[in-house]
Amino acid sequence: MNNVMALAGVVIKEMYRRKDFYVLFVMTALITLLLGAMRFFDNAGIVRFLKEICLVLIWISTLVIAVTTAARQIPAERESRTIFPLLAKPVRRWELVAGKFAGCWLACVITLVVFYSFFGIITASREQAWPGMIFFQAVWLHAVFLAVVVALVLLGSVVFTAQSSNATICLIVVVGILYVGRYLNRVADGLRGIGGDIVYALYFAIPHLEWYDIHNLLVNDWNGIDWVTMSGATLYGALYTGFLLLAAWMIFRHKALTV
Amino acid sequence: MIQLVLTLVFVGGFTLATFLDPRLQALRARADDGTGFVAALMGDSRRLFANQFFVEADVYFHSGYYPTIFDTPEAEETLDVNSKEEAETPGAAPASGRRPEKDEGGGFLGPPRDWVERFGRHFMPTQHTHLANGKVAEILPWLRLSADLDPHRIQTYLTASYWLRGTLNQPDEAEQFLREGLRANPDSFEIYIELGYVFDYNRKNPRMARNLFELALDKWKKQDGAGLKPSPKARVEILDGLVRADEEQNDLKQLLPDLEALKAVSPFPDAVEKDIQATRAKLAAQPPGRPD
Repeated sequence: MNNVMALAGVVIKEMYRRKDFYVLFVMTALITLLLGAMRFFDNAGIVRFLKEICLVLIWISTLVIAVTTAARQIPAERESRTIFPLLAKPVRRWELVAGKFAGCWLACVITLVVFYSFFGIITASREQAWPGMIFFQAVWLHAVFLAVVVALVLLGSVVFTAQSSNATICLIVVVGILYVGRYLNRVADGLRGIGGDIVYALYFAIPHLEWYDIHNLLVNDWNGIDWVTMSGATLYGALYTGFLLLAAWMIFRHKALTV
Repeated sequence: MIQLVLTLVFVGGFTLATFLDPRLQALRARADDGTGFVAALMGDSRRLFANQFFVEADVYFHSGYYPTIFDTPEAEETLDVNSKEEAETPGAAPASGRRPEKDEGGGFLGPPRDWVERFGRHFMPTQHTHLANGKVAEILPWLRLSADLDPHRIQTYLTASYWLRGTLNQPDEAEQFLREGLRANPDSFEIYIELGYVFDYNRKNPRMARNLFELALDKWKKQDGAGLKPSPKARVEILDGLVRADEEQNDLKQLLPDLEALKAVSPFPDAVEKDIQATRAKLAAQPPGRPD
């Protein structure tokens, strides 16, 4: 366990040494503040527009950070050949995968806390009220979403040779699930024969990442989600994360490490 | 030799620039319709975005409960954000600012088809509600952006004005926005009608409202004469506005011909006929020489 935490610590340090996070945060803050300065029809009570734009920017930024951070972990260790002394320490291969995952995910959670704190301050200043339970649920579900994404990208990094192709494919898959995943059953209904069956099977097989995007509830001030549902979503995310990490470890276990 | 070629290229480039510049300027003038930089940058694609932003206003009006391309789409004219009932009856709404609405035909979602869909509905709005009271202001940024992108989209001005002058009680902003719309669409009778409502309902200035309704009627007739087939319903609205302004000013002499014009197009000619008889009776009862 010490090895896992040590590896995670290195990943977290790497994240705050890199410029990605700072650039994306400054961009998000700048765009949000500029939009916040706009007045529409001399009405000071308009806030949902600002919340929506800020949340969209947060989702884009955190997704980019998660994918790029996770995609470079194992390939970078291999290219710089630091993976050999690391595994000779001795660190087991499962510890390496788990450590990289823990580091990436914790780095993403830190990023989320910073971004959502900014969002909370902006919202509270405009609405003159502190965010309710739905706000914390949105942060947690976003964190679970990023856990699945990080695990998926780590799996990709042991499957694909180039990190750029891995990052691109994972981004397309994640964005595709976010936008279309919910409707695949309807698409399957419209298809006949084996095509429909394949799409239906895909619908049940993919991780339904769209559940974790509750920005519509948060922006429009809907009530919070009940805790049984929250627990169910967390368990579902944890199962998929576990499955993807297990698959990554199984492939990585038999992988030759020469570049 | 190289210097000669360079000079030749420079002279050729300069000559080509003098030849092409007037043609490019002419093209730019055609594209320019008041949106300036945005029009130059986005071309006609901005109209697509303008439509999308207008729909986004309707999404906000429903607090996110909205069909996607995978559900049955709604025609633009049936969007609830265009509603003609709510501004008249703002009434009391829940503290959430959302007024529950009935879902025709069980709503666009329908019953869930499987456990994934059933569970997934916990994470999205599933109740049909409309924004109420001051919360309606949340739709305004999208309408503003829609108008900025396509200043010829008349419905955007009408919808924004409807909520501004009604529920939000901001007639000044409504008038300003409508005048902006008129600058881009000087022949729009729809904007004149809406402007007439601002002066009639909000400013309580029936004389000014009447002038605006007359202008609207003039524009409507011009469009009709040009074979553009303007909406017959709009003509009824205009004549209705004129009649109301006459009644408010107690201008019985003007009211009579306006009522007769309304009777010719109204879906309820009998009711209008009753008003005509009543007006005639009032006119007959007036002592001769009395000013209206």
